[in-house]
Amino acid sequence: MKALTSVLALLALSFTITNPARADGYKTCTKLEKASWKPASEAEAKAKAAGYEVRRSKIEGSCYEVYGVKDGKLFELFYSPEDLSLKHTIAK
Amino acid sequence: MGPSRLTILVQSSRLKGRLKGSRLEASRDWSASAPTREGALVKVWDLPLRLSHWAMACCVLIAWFTPNTYDALHRSAGYGVLALTLFRLVWGFVGTRYSRFQNPLRTFRVLPRYLWAIGRGRSRRYLGLNPAGRAMSITMLLLLAVSGISGWMQVTLRFFGVAWVQDTHTYTSYAVILLALVHVAGVVLMSIRQKENLVRAMVTGWKWTGGTRPGTPA
Repeated sequence: MKALTSVLALLALSFTITNPARADGYKTCTKLEKASWKPASEAEAKAKAAGYEVRRSKIEGSCYEVYGVKDGKLFELFYSPEDLSLKHTIAK
Repeated sequence: MGPSRLTILVQSSRLKGRLKGSRLEASRDWSASAPTREGALVKVWDLPLRLSHWAMACCVLIAWFTPNTYDALHRSAGYGVLALTLFRLVWGFVGTRYSRFQNPLRTFRVLPRYLWAIGRGRSRRYLGLNPAGRAMSITMLLLLAVSGISGWMQVTLRFFGVAWVQDTHTYTSYAVILLALVHVAGVVLMSIRQKENLVRAMVTGWKWTGGTRPGTPA
């Protein structure tokens, strides 16, 4: 019983510790501080210009993450708020 | 002959007097004297229930550690959760005695009393799920269903990148993990209190009837 309790306590602890560290796919696009970032709407406009139907954009780490659809396929586009360069693309 | 019958009678009548005969769980206390290996060894949890329980635990664990990073694995775990939830809902109607659902309205009505009784150390022993366990299982299944469905919706053309779908998936998934920890804590607490390894019972399916009343509710 004691072993069981300690195993479970360890489990609970590991949950609390690992939770903040749960890595997201892609998070780092720039080192520039937020105040000097270009607006998210420009990242969305860039995705639109590239032929994506933009569903949503949000800040993910130091990136603008844009949810876009192209030819019926789902994509997550990661733009740098510094120069709006496309850093990463994930096909869902 | 396990606990003294007299003790139980005295204890319960004293409580009943204090609580004016209300149908409090506490007034039916058998846990304090629940023996470990007494009565008959009976099969409580059937095999499909046990398999689906542990498979669900695995799927939830995998899903918790894989979002965004291991997308394919996360998705498979999610589909696993959905399939197991569906199975469990069906099994709650056609499974063996202790797998079957009881009236959830009644469960949530007696829940506060039972939790109060646990707090006072006077929760009685059940062979199947106690009221807290029943409330946990029904809430967990609903959350798993919402989490699984909203997760699946996120990768459909229609709901991809829709904020409320993403938020629903995030919050219900957090709630599932939170409840799972409460579930585990409850199992540990009752295992210690009733001197019975409930985790092993969920592996083997067998439990001792000692401490439960004959004809005890599931």
